[in-house]
Amino acid sequence: MIKTVKLSKVFRTDEVETTALNEVSFEINKGEFVAIMGPSGCGKSTLLNILGLLDNPTTGEYFFLENEVSKHSEKQRANLRKKNIGFVFQNFNLIDELNVYENVELPLIYLGYSSSERKKRVEEVLEQMNILHRKKHFPLQLSGGQQQRVAVARAVVANPELILADEPTGNLDSAHGEEVMNLLEGLNKKGTTIIMVTHSQRDAEYAQRIIRLFDGQIINENIKKTAAK
Amino acid sequence: MITNYFKTAYRNIARNKFYTFLNVLGLSIGFTVFIFIFLFVKDELTYDTYHKNKDRIYRIASDFNIANKPEQFAIVPVPMGPALKLEYPEVEKFCRMSPVGDALIKYNNKEFYEPDIYVADSTVFDIFTHKFILGDAKQSLNRPNTIVLTQKFATKYFGQENPMGKSLKTGDGTSLMVSGVIEDLPENSHMKFSALISLVTRANAIGVEQFNSLSPNMFWNIGLYTFLLMEEGHTMDGIHEKFPQFYKKYMASIGDQINASFNLLSMPLTEIHLNSNLSSELPTGNKSFVLILIAVAVFILAIAAINYMNMATARSIKRAREVGIRKVMGALRGQLIRQFLSESVLLAFISMLIAVFVVYILMNDFNALAAKDLSLNLGSELGVVFLITIFIGLVSGSYPAFYLSNFIPVKVLKGTVSGGSKNSGLLRKVLVVFQFFMAIVMIIGTLIVSGQLQFLKSKDLGYNKEDIVILQMQDTGFRNKHEIFRKELLTNPNIIDATNTMGYPGNISAIQVVRVEGENKMVDDACLLAHVDFNFLKVFDIKIIEGRGFDRSMGTDKMEAVVINEAAVKKFNWEGKAIGKKIHYGFDLQGNVRRPLKVIGVMQDFHFKSLKNNVEAVMFFISQQPRFYMAIKINGNNQKETLNFIEKKWNEFGANRPFSSEFLTQQLDDMYTAESKVGTIFRIVTILTIFIALLGLLGLSSFITEQRTKEIGIRKILGAGIPTILQLLAKEFIILIGLAFMIAIPVSWWQFDKWLNNSFVYFKEIDWVVFFIGGLIALVVGLLTISYHIIKAASSNPVDAIKYE
Repeated sequence: MIKTVKLSKVFRTDEVETTALNEVSFEINKGEFVAIMGPSGCGKSTLLNILGLLDNPTTGEYFFLENEVSKHSEKQRANLRKKNIGFVFQNFNLIDELNVYENVELPLIYLGYSSSERKKRVEEVLEQMNILHRKKHFPLQLSGGQQQRVAVARAVVANPELILADEPTGNLDSAHGEEVMNLLEGLNKKGTTIIMVTHSQRDAEYAQRIIRLFDGQIINENIKKTAAK
Repeated sequence: MITNYFKTAYRNIARNKFYTFLNVLGLSIGFTVFIFIFLFVKDELTYDTYHKNKDRIYRIASDFNIANKPEQFAIVPVPMGPALKLEYPEVEKFCRMSPVGDALIKYNNKEFYEPDIYVADSTVFDIFTHKFILGDAKQSLNRPNTIVLTQKFATKYFGQENPMGKSLKTGDGTSLMVSGVIEDLPENSHMKFSALISLVTRANAIGVEQFNSLSPNMFWNIGLYTFLLMEEGHTMDGIHEKFPQFYKKYMASIGDQINASFNLLSMPLTEIHLNSNLSSELPTGNKSFVLILIAVAVFILAIAAINYMNMATARSIKRAREVGIRKVMGALRGQLIRQFLSESVLLAFISMLIAVFVVYILMNDFNALAAKDLSLNLGSELGVVFLITIFIGLVSGSYPAFYLSNFIPVKVLKGTVSGGSKNSGLLRKVLVVFQFFMAIVMIIGTLIVSGQLQFLKSKDLGYNKEDIVILQMQDTGFRNKHEIFRKELLTNPNIIDATNTMGYPGNISAIQVVRVEGENKMVDDACLLAHVDFNFLKVFDIKIIEGRGFDRSMGTDKMEAVVINEAAVKKFNWEGKAIGKKIHYGFDLQGNVRRPLKVIGVMQDFHFKSLKNNVEAVMFFISQQPRFYMAIKINGNNQKETLNFIEKKWNEFGANRPFSSEFLTQQLDDMYTAESKVGTIFRIVTILTIFIALLGLLGLSSFITEQRTKEIGIRKILGAGIPTILQLLAKEFIILIGLAFMIAIPVSWWQFDKWLNNSFVYFKEIDWVVFFIGGLIALVVGLLTISYHIIKAASSNPVDAIKYE
């Protein structure tokens, strides 16, 4: 599903040139649950952004669903992104001005679903995330765990092939963190590919494979269990 | 999708009440001013456009050149219309009209002075579009002693009665039979008559044969407003081309004798109101005033729109995350732009709604100020109101929309975009400078305009204008008794003096060709003049700087004496030797002199016209006939009682008219009505402009302090006091206002110096102090505005600020 070939990302300011990713090559198959780990500044988030089509690499190739996308424009990337990728962030990134229902509805609006389809789909996924009773609430009226459940609901509402999670439990206590990880594991079991950046060894345990990054390079790739299917 | 846009827009607007309030208030004021100005300007631009034939109607005018003194009049000789029609078939119809002047009209026991009655040819209703309520357009004005009334006029005298066939009496006893009633004239008519008397009435009084004569001497007296209706497909160009032959045929024989020439002028009817500035013109609009107003409307809307831009981009940190999320969710840039634009458009509509409401409430006050009778008809103006709302919504939302939608999601979600990237910060500064530039220009303008108005009212005009009461002596019998009337007035100790005169300062307009003593022969020249009596110079305190004034004891003064002003001395080249020079007045074609005059004195120049005009040559001499005005000089004691006394005498002497009097100062002030209107409008708009600019500043300073809360906290922990912080944050604004000030000085100097030079011959030079005051006012109110938020931030507990992250 995903294949990178010598993917590099270099950030330049006037005086300093920083290599965030240095010729990273790997492959991720459909249905895998992969954790990316490494110390702060090792390039995890940069990699996730490129994989999530939020950013382009400086050099190298990136095959997403068999297509080379490393030179795509923002508009092309946006179109690929909204159909195929769901995002979960450490700080939830819900829109404060929209209520739970409207936040989850958002990706469907940009995908052009009709309002009745949206209603059906949103309520389904809210039910699944066990947060339907809160659909009229605004993000600031919810606990952190509830907010992240809304964010996960939003990530999956359009049935994406891939979910990218950036420290999904980073802002949660352990009980709520576990809840969220269970949700992700459940999704993976149903066939969704998941790539997760994390600091937590415990969270990484949920993954089938861990990619360790250090100074922009892969230092270790171990497969813990076999893929679900 | 669109409901989602408006939902988010609504939530954002509702959530940020403070900024919404600032924006809506600013935009509402802007829209209110816009609507008023729009209505005013539209009215000014549509004068006389309601006539069906408007595109074929021209008014002809005179360009006389007498003794090399060109003078243009809005009126033409009486036979000009008929003669042009006779000569040129492309003239379909002509109509002559002329105001009757303050006419006394009586019906039963009702009597009023009517200032707006005109005489008119019966063709008036063929050329112009007026709707008849009673009577018939064809028949109404073709007989002598008939009058057509407007509805208001009819109601005033006849109430519910049917006026048709009834007779009105004039002050001199003439009967006028009502032969028609028409609808009141629209407010935007340049000639606002209240009633029309048939022109044949006047022809009869003068003698029909003489009135209709096309003899050359009839062409050298100017007399009537004349309108031509041209045949379809013809303009005036052809007539102007052929006019030299016309001149030769009808006018040259006399023109050559008196060293004069004449050219025909013309102007389309609909252009008169804003474009004519001829002598004897009816009150017209002021084109530069209309232009100023348009500029003001643009200014004030720009400032309000800038407020929105500034606050929206300043708030961008808060919105950046939303933009990032939406983009991650797959929003395209165009969708985000549309979202932000729908927000600003929604806000604009809310503001417009309020503005329309305010306009309805203030309509009467505005009409009083503008001296108009306007109203907002949403039915017909809906398009304009709608378009301007959308336009302002889009313009003010455009920059924020493009700016915000351009955020890169990776960066904003990581929080590396701070409240304004360098660019938006710079743009915001430019916009603030621009707003304050406009505000300062307006303040300086207000100071200069009101300074000039003060100057106009207080300038020493070179004569005494205080406590002088002017009466009109319309009745001939009354006029003939002017000498004993004056004596009777002087029995009152509060009445100092009185003079019977044909003109007085502020109202001297008669101009005549005279012969003056040249090097070795008499030469033709033109000169303003007034017939006066022996008391004239004393009543007005006019100073004689050479020779002497009129003296009753000098037997010859009554016939021969003339006093002239310094300007006349210069004009006739008599410097240093004016006394005893000869002026011949009133000569016939054979060259016989009716009044040979001798200069007995030279008056110091005084401003007998408004300060918009140069002091021209003028001469005064004693006439045998009684004169039209009585100017009475009273003292300051109990003026009301003195006026009552004058009224009593007026009635005793059989003035045959209801008493009416006016102070000279009042008439002089009226010469500057246009300027004081400009002054008032400037004051109001300046206050509004500053107010809107301050709203923006309040919003902006709130954001900037919010953005720097953490910095303020850290600085305070490190020992900074409130004054230091105030200084730190205010410095930027002071620099911006200072910059605006520097740009405002040359621009406002240039603009207002031009205005003064174009509008006035005499004006107060611009004092540098006004610039200083303008800048200072802007600085002080600006600083007070921003201090509110800065002090609030600086006095807060530093720990709260640090925790803020």
